[in-house]
Amino acid sequence: MRLLVFTLLGFCAVASANFSDALELQEADYFSASVTKGILPPIANRIPSDPAVATFEGEGTSIGMSGGTIRILMAKAKEVRQMVVYGYARLIGYDSKLVLRADILKKFNVEKGRIFTLTLREGHRWSNGDRFTTEDFRYWWEDMANNKELFPAGPPVQMLVDGALPTVEIISETEIRFAWEHPNPEFIPALAKASPLYIYAPSAYLKKFHPKYQEADKLAQMVAAENRQNWASLHNRKDNSYKNDNPDLPTLQPWVIQTAPPAERYIFSRNPFYHRVDTNGFQLPYIDEVHMDIVAGKLIPAKAGSGEVDLQGRYLNFNDTPFLKQNEEKYGFVTHLWRTGKGSQLTLYPNLNIEDREWRDLFRDVKFRRALSLATNREEINEVVYFGLGLPQNNSLLPGSPIYDQKSAYAYAEFDIENANALLDEIGLKLGPGGIRLLPDGRKAEIIIETAGESTEETDVLQLIHDSWLRAGIKVYTKPLQREVLRNRVFSGQTQMAIWSGLQNGLASPEMSPAELAPTSQQQLQWPMWGQYLETKGAAGQAVDLSAAELQLERYFAWRVAASFEAKKKIWSDMVRTYNDQVFTIGLISGALQPIVANARLRNLPAEGYYNWDPGAHFGSYRPDTFWLSLSKTDG
Amino acid sequence: MVMIPTLLAISVLVFVIIQLPPGDFLTTQIAELQAQGQDTNSAKIEFLREQYGLNKPLWEQYAIWLLGMLQGDFGYSFEYDLPVSEVVGDRLFLSFVLSFATIIFTWAMAFPIGVYSAVNQYSPGDHALTFIGFLGLATPNFLLALVMMYLAKAHFGISIGGLMDPEYIDQPFSYGKFISVLEHLWVPVIVIGTSGTAGMIRRLRANLLDELQKQYVTTARAKGLTPTRALIKYPLRMALNPFIADIGNLLPQVVSGAAVVSMVLSLPTTGPMLIEALQSQDMYLAGSFLMFLAMLTVVGVLISDIALAALDPRIRLGAGNDK
Repeated sequence: MRLLVFTLLGFCAVASANFSDALELQEADYFSASVTKGILPPIANRIPSDPAVATFEGEGTSIGMSGGTIRILMAKAKEVRQMVVYGYARLIGYDSKLVLRADILKKFNVEKGRIFTLTLREGHRWSNGDRFTTEDFRYWWEDMANNKELFPAGPPVQMLVDGALPTVEIISETEIRFAWEHPNPEFIPALAKASPLYIYAPSAYLKKFHPKYQEADKLAQMVAAENRQNWASLHNRKDNSYKNDNPDLPTLQPWVIQTAPPAERYIFSRNPFYHRVDTNGFQLPYIDEVHMDIVAGKLIPAKAGSGEVDLQGRYLNFNDTPFLKQNEEKYGFVTHLWRTGKGSQLTLYPNLNIEDREWRDLFRDVKFRRALSLATNREEINEVVYFGLGLPQNNSLLPGSPIYDQKSAYAYAEFDIENANALLDEIGLKLGPGGIRLLPDGRKAEIIIETAGESTEETDVLQLIHDSWLRAGIKVYTKPLQREVLRNRVFSGQTQMAIWSGLQNGLASPEMSPAELAPTSQQQLQWPMWGQYLETKGAAGQAVDLSAAELQLERYFAWRVAASFEAKKKIWSDMVRTYNDQVFTIGLISGALQPIVANARLRNLPAEGYYNWDPGAHFGSYRPDTFWLSLSKTDG
Repeated sequence: MVMIPTLLAISVLVFVIIQLPPGDFLTTQIAELQAQGQDTNSAKIEFLREQYGLNKPLWEQYAIWLLGMLQGDFGYSFEYDLPVSEVVGDRLFLSFVLSFATIIFTWAMAFPIGVYSAVNQYSPGDHALTFIGFLGLATPNFLLALVMMYLAKAHFGISIGGLMDPEYIDQPFSYGKFISVLEHLWVPVIVIGTSGTAGMIRRLRANLLDELQKQYVTTARAKGLTPTRALIKYPLRMALNPFIADIGNLLPQVVSGAAVVSMVLSLPTTGPMLIEALQSQDMYLAGSFLMFLAMLTVVGVLISDIALAALDPRIRLGAGNDK
């Protein structure tokens, strides 16, 4: 074997000597025929000279064997993009402890929060064998992001700091530097997202569709042949790194799409040039092929429960758990229960920007919001709807986050109807006929909670809210609306209160943006107009005029320029504390469970984990490229 | 000649109805992106809207669509980023297979049962079959689909949903694939077929009963024709009209193919695609589907009218009397 490896290395000009000592590279069976026939170069020539070496230190993880196919299910053809999410090869990515680490990059260096030096791996290649170098970054920056036809609105917002672009300096084929005038704290997290900011593109492939590199006649021919309006449209169609719907587009992900849409079944095969290896010298991913079938979403639990899938989380619901557990033995799969990573499964959003003056004053009164929160029986919701397995806390961070603070997560989260009534009395809402309180202008205190009505879960919970708030003299009505209509009604200040999921990121670490805790976006349903004001730089919406919200905004700006990790952590804790103390949103239940179905032979998938979009990329941060199929159902 | 204005009116209706819900395809997309916490900036959205032609006035969008269709260009599916014709692809073929199998099943079941029920009216056999027929009519299709699917998996090991085992999807046609399709086909055929069968039985029975009471039947019997011959030679032929008239409804069904059942069973037919297109406001895909259905209905009615006239001299001559 040693001899063989040395022979292979003989072909390999770039492999460094010390590396070959450390690792004996092994060819996967999947490629050996292609290598023998000369279709593919041998493994030593396919991977970077300093590949990323996967370590298996986590509990219950082990070095695996190459081979096998796993089946996954999706409901829509466009969900082929989920393979980019699950594959989770990022320039910089989160590991399972949510620490940012270089992945595709060999290393990165940040100076003063504003100068970013990225170093690529020597000899790294795209899935078609083209070299992956800083030219791919330059092409994206100069010929795409700054091309008025491809990016009519200019480069993506994460590349802008106070409206200013970075200076981009290409130091060598493997080193590039982005430098801004001021700190850009969102740059690195953006690269690590489930749907990442792409700052590179496969230039060798895409140049064929760019007028700067392609003859005009030929380009016009291609545009006509593909029935496109212009070259930019053609280029956009071909360059879908995230959408992942072009089998010809080179990628750096562990699995490469082979099937052109539309199709009922998509085949993804392992990337022969993938940059990660295990400590035995086997190239990752272990799994040769992923087969993604497109079936009706409602059928997915049934199929998962009859062993027709090898790894599935999406489209499975907590309600399906008993059915899944029941069929485990018969069909040879296991069901893990992971926690969802949102700050809250369901949250009520009092609209602080509602048009109605009376209600606006009430919602802006912190006592009123606290009273509503105290009148909410979270234990009951947890027991009735979530089998007592959820966390009856407010819309806040979860125990998995390094900034988690139990005291603020449970602030005003206990059920205390007397205190709630006392607070409401204090505000001056007198009890009227039928035990319903009256507003100062004599109207009844009736709140219409609008829901997108997409699940019975929401309406069940709202019925419980109705019962417990009635004891505080507040009458609740539920109004189901179409999602779009609901949002527009919230934005325009017509909705009193909406129900939606809570903070997107319940697992935040100090490096991640705390924007969700301050009025920074119209999408924040408790203060859409304040958010819009910031988003549009004052062109639309309303300026923040509530001191607590202003304070949050100031802290957010302070976080953006904070240089040290400690300072950022301090700001985060302050913001979380204020957010929960002020009860800007009324979280109902957190940490709901997500069933994950896996083939009983699948290894390295943790039994307990967080199922979260960002950070986490669902399975991504647990690195599915290290998952493997054992020959037996039991360990060993 | 009434057909062309009818189709034009339908095309306007279809277009307007698709446009009725608030927003367009892009707003649906944007909401989805934002729900996932992705940034979308307004200039980029405007750019896309322009590229998709969604910024043009409604009548202009309509005119482009209509003219395109006349030339066989059904427009562009936003959702799939492909021309509509490519998206529909072999779904149409599988829809045909499924629908024809269903029609044959319906007729094969309904015909003998209907005749038996009529000839032996109020016999125990008639009551039993009528009972089963009504049960079939009354059971919600989707429920039946779920039950059958479970049984097929639990007892025959047939994979859940779809029209073939996953391994055969997008593979060239082979003997194994053919068998796999047959294995999967019977569930949807029975599910979709039951209610149709029940309806057909009732209609055939009622028509045949009417005919059997008529004097010419009595005369035929009196002249000594065997009961079978006295049944098949005249009354049955008269009772066939509803089968022929049904062709008008069958054609569009062949394409829309019991959308709800197809959704439940996750069949690779056109029905679920139409519903998805309507949900995401993928307007050209949905519009082309609806137009195609309308066209088939109109053509189907025409065919069944012609066939009826050819088969039944009463209709042929009746039409002549009007002139």
